[in-house]
Amino acid sequence: MPIVVNLDEILVRRQMKSKELAEIIGITTANLSILKSGKAKAIRFTTLEAICKALNCQPSDILKYVE
Amino acid sequence: MKDNTNILTIITWVVLLSTISILLNDMREFDFNQFKEFQNWAKSADKNESWFTSKNLIEWSYYVISTGLFFWRGYLIYGFSYFLSILKEIESGNYFSNKNIGYFKKIGNIFIWYTVNVLVLRFLLAVINKSTFNFFNELKTEFTFLIPAGLAFFILAEIFKRGKQTEQENELTI
Repeated sequence: MPIVVNLDEILVRRQMKSKELAEIIGITTANLSILKSGKAKAIRFTTLEAICKALNCQPSDILKYVE
Repeated sequence: MKDNTNILTIITWVVLLSTISILLNDMREFDFNQFKEFQNWAKSADKNESWFTSKNLIEWSYYVISTGLFFWRGYLIYGFSYFLSILKEIESGNYFSNKNIGYFKKIGNIFIWYTVNVLVLRFLLAVINKSTFNFFNELKTEFTFLIPAGLAFFILAEIFKRGKQTEQENELTI
């Protein structure tokens, strides 16, 4: 898929672990792993909102379009 | 949902057992001793007589077709047993599983094959008995509802296939 989830990079920048983020946004680490690996088919606005809130960033920082 | 599944399982068992008992009873009532007659004929048959028009051969064909009819009825009952497998899958929460899709296709196949083969065998039986065979009258009989039922199961299999895709997409929506 040409949409890439850039979570790893932001997590490193924010010095936050995946497990912590999963706890804050209220999803399982397994689901967060699916999201990070690009296997996810879709992302809910509520999840996106929670991630942006937890990492203090914009959706464009997480999602990138690569041709 | 589980309560409904239990009720459906019980109903399926009742249907299954009653159809098996009806089939066994019909087989019991069928005069298998007539086969011995054929065996005796095979030993003492007039070899010069044309085999195709031989009365005994025609008689024997009647028994073979009757056995075929019993076989297909057994096959239909085997098809009913797949309902139990589907209900078991539903009970364990696997609604849109590959197994269920396969079971629906198998039931559809069995229903259609049963009807087509029974129609062919009944036609042959009518030819042997030299009685009249009216195709449309045969189609009107109660068992032919199995063709639309078989098609319905094929449609269900397609719907479940799509359902499975949707379920997967839903699971991968974070």
